[in-house]
Amino acid sequence: MFNLELTRHLANLSKIHFTDEELDKMTEDMTNIIELMDKVCEFDSSKTAYSLDAVNYNDLREDNPKDSYPTEKIISNAKNIKNNSFVVPKVV
Amino acid sequence: MALQKLRDMLDKKEISAVELTETYLNRIKEKDTKINSYITVCNESAISEAKNAQKVIDSGNSTSFTGIPVSVKDNICTKGIKTTCASKMLEDFVPPYDATVAKKLKNNNAVILGKTNMDEFAMGGSSQTSYFGGVKNPFDTSRVPGGSSGGAAASVSADLCAAALGSDTGGSVRQPASFCGVTGLKPTYGTVSRWGLIAFASSLDQIGVVAKSAEDTGYILNGIYGYDENDATTSKKSTGDYNCLVGSNISNLKIGIPKEFFGDGLDDEVKKAVLNAAEYYKKLGCEIVEVSLPCLEYAVSAYYLISSAEAASNLSRFDGIKYGLRSGLGENFNDLIANSRREGFGNEVKRRIMLGNYALCSGYYDAYYKNATRIRTELKAEYAKIFEECDVILTPTAPTTAYKIGQQENDPVKMYLADIYTVTVNIAGLPAISTTCSYDTNGMPIGMSLIGKSFDEKTLIAVCDRFEKDFERKEAVL
Repeated sequence: MFNLELTRHLANLSKIHFTDEELDKMTEDMTNIIELMDKVCEFDSSKTAYSLDAVNYNDLREDNPKDSYPTEKIISNAKNIKNNSFVVPKVV
Repeated sequence: MALQKLRDMLDKKEISAVELTETYLNRIKEKDTKINSYITVCNESAISEAKNAQKVIDSGNSTSFTGIPVSVKDNICTKGIKTTCASKMLEDFVPPYDATVAKKLKNNNAVILGKTNMDEFAMGGSSQTSYFGGVKNPFDTSRVPGGSSGGAAASVSADLCAAALGSDTGGSVRQPASFCGVTGLKPTYGTVSRWGLIAFASSLDQIGVVAKSAEDTGYILNGIYGYDENDATTSKKSTGDYNCLVGSNISNLKIGIPKEFFGDGLDDEVKKAVLNAAEYYKKLGCEIVEVSLPCLEYAVSAYYLISSAEAASNLSRFDGIKYGLRSGLGENFNDLIANSRREGFGNEVKRRIMLGNYALCSGYYDAYYKNATRIRTELKAEYAKIFEECDVILTPTAPTTAYKIGQQENDPVKMYLADIYTVTVNIAGLPAISTTCSYDTNGMPIGMSLIGKSFDEKTLIAVCDRFEKDFERKEAVL
């Protein structure tokens, strides 16, 4: 059963802040969505093997070094840069 | 106008590449305020590209794309041109590189007219979740154009480009093509490089083509397919020459009609139109056989669990630090990220990320994600069995025609269920093409889809083309 506590947990895993009001609305939406998703639990899985091989990686390239992008291009879309580095709030 | 005809006109100097580009840019300026199909119009660079294309034409070295004006969906990276994914998160993002498909267009001197509007991060079927405002259907501007490549389909339908590149994760090229009365091709997974396509669900995403005809989709696919060392999932099985079967005899083909696609929930007018198309093929001599895809009932749920799980991982890169929106709020590292994502993502994107993390988190993974992947395996097996007997499969593209704006976009469950006829193709990695097969009582286009065997786009295009040649298609009037 989906509830507010689970929404908070998922919001934390998703790294998205919500207001209390938004959490209530998200809980309501997710309750309806999970009800639809419950359909997969009805599938008789005993005859089908679990597989993560949905995609073929059959043509992997040789691991040869190539030129990389210049630093100024890589940081050109960042909002807070200092000495060619990304600035983040103090961690320790 | 057919792309081959445009090519001939350019090569015979009946029109110059600059004149052609200006014609489209003027039309965009005049008409796009009514449908909002473009997020960015590349007025200056398009003229510059057209001038270069003309030089190539004048030198007698034109290729199929030289001087052809196209639109590109705004989730495909274009060097130096804003690429927003229709999200506040990427409102001012300017890629430092071209996606492989963009590079192929540019290397062949195509003219990129602009970047088309879409559902935010390609998550939706209405093109109403764009941060830059919703797209409207050129056939009736009170209706949605479908999605997520709604801008691509609307831009083709309204003659605001000669052809468009879109992306299809669960029907996002075919369904808007159906709603806007044009043709949409989703190639086999691995046919077109995804490098530079901003990832939504990597095992399902595939770049596709929207154009005025099946033949035109093949024309564009010929220039963008192929193995790419930057995308390990591209295949060397794709052979090109996608229009080689156009005009050939198709009367020996066997067409499967999966009974589950014609049950409850399908609009009567759509059902009648698609079954009439089956009759058309029967009269040509094709054998029509009823087939079955029992797993269809699980498809929507399996699709949303797999795609959202992949989206939750793919979109974790948007942290407000390296690129994208950076919140001014947040005193510590985690708060900065969570506030940036709160401010940058729209509601539907947040729902998908939450659903994806639900499917992947401890305690739910076995019941949801693992079962969804088992359903994927089973669906592939069911399709393989059908293709032992049939050459192509005929289905409706969507349960209804384009609906009124505001009618169902705010109900996620209703929106998800509307994807029922398109998602299985992505789950199984197959190619499919949607074209108009009739019009409903409101004059809105009805779409039918043809699904093919892996890497057999040629047959699909030929079968679709045959129908189109005998069908009187209406033009949208704006």
